[in-house]
Amino acid sequence: MKPKKVLVVDDSKLLHRMFEMMLRQYPLVHAYDGREALDRLAEHKDIDLILLDINMPRMNGLEFLAAVKANAELARIPVVIITTEGTEDDTERGIQAGAAAYVKKPFRNEELLGVINRLTASSAA
Amino acid sequence: MNGRVPAADSLPARVGDALEELRAMLDRASELARSLEAQKSARQGVPPRQIAELELRLADVVSDRQELSTKLADYEHQVGRLMNLYVATYQLHATLDPSEVQATIAEIAINLLGAEQFALLFWKDDPPECEIALQQGLDEDPGGFYQKGVYSGGDPAVDATLSDGVLRIGPIDGSEALAVVPLTVQGATVGALVIMKLFAHKETLRPEDRDLLDLLAAHAASALFAARVYSTTDRKLKTLESLVKLVRR
Repeated sequence: MKPKKVLVVDDSKLLHRMFEMMLRQYPLVHAYDGREALDRLAEHKDIDLILLDINMPRMNGLEFLAAVKANAELARIPVVIITTEGTEDDTERGIQAGAAAYVKKPFRNEELLGVINRLTASSAA
Repeated sequence: MNGRVPAADSLPARVGDALEELRAMLDRASELARSLEAQKSARQGVPPRQIAELELRLADVVSDRQELSTKLADYEHQVGRLMNLYVATYQLHATLDPSEVQATIAEIAINLLGAEQFALLFWKDDPPECEIALQQGLDEDPGGFYQKGVYSGGDPAVDATLSDGVLRIGPIDGSEALAVVPLTVQGATVGALVIMKLFAHKETLRPEDRDLLDLLAAHAASALFAARVYSTTDRKLKTLESLVKLVRR
């Protein structure tokens, strides 16, 4: 079976490096803000999952998420918000905006891997 | 029961097919019932001592499985911890641009430690003062220690770490800091990373955070120091090259 392709959207180089180490079984596509992420989605039509930060320059995570959900072709892709904004309101806002899951930074690797495995497995079903 | 069912060839085709299916199903059910009966008698024939032994072995297997599962979770946690340390070290030394090294220190503080308020302090020679090289969330500074880009002194934990180079983790009497990480190069303390507050969803520093704080103490200063030296040397070299070009014209 073809491995799932994951788009990582975060302005932290450290986290991009971290995801490269953590998600070796997934081909990754990298973007450092929302606008660049939309470009990457236009280039890669086979993205299966998006890991999304909120606080980013140029276009933040929530604006990017709104753009993704407004596009019928992209709306099917599950989005995991990974952010330091950790209040109940923030979580609610992210889920309302259409995120499939919400993970707070700093996260335990096994916690995030669990979420990713669950979402990639359910999107394969 | 079979005797009450008419022969399939005397009925319309679809009903006949359904009856054939029903007969096959009844045959399968009888087969299953016989098999279950056989299993039951086989179990009845086994001496109770053997059943007890088997049950004991089963309990052992279940307990081993639970132990392995706990160990696996622990290993996964350790792998995650080591991965964080590796990535932090890698990223600190991945660049010779001082602003990028500072950004990496901030990223480690925010993304890996969960720091909401922190300051990166460095000793300066001219004038001799402790500059705030980087800060986040320090708008609230009840003690008034961090003003106009300079740490003026007064927080006992920060002062102590800047003087003796020892990592301190709070709560510390009279200090606003949760942790003060010395930044050392070749044994000399050149600054400190002061963590004042964590994000609300991270209540305290965890035991594994201690490793990251130790790593920052050992690597952050040397990475930043190397980047600053390189940056200064590179700037001087470019100036010299420009001068040489001018002279040659």
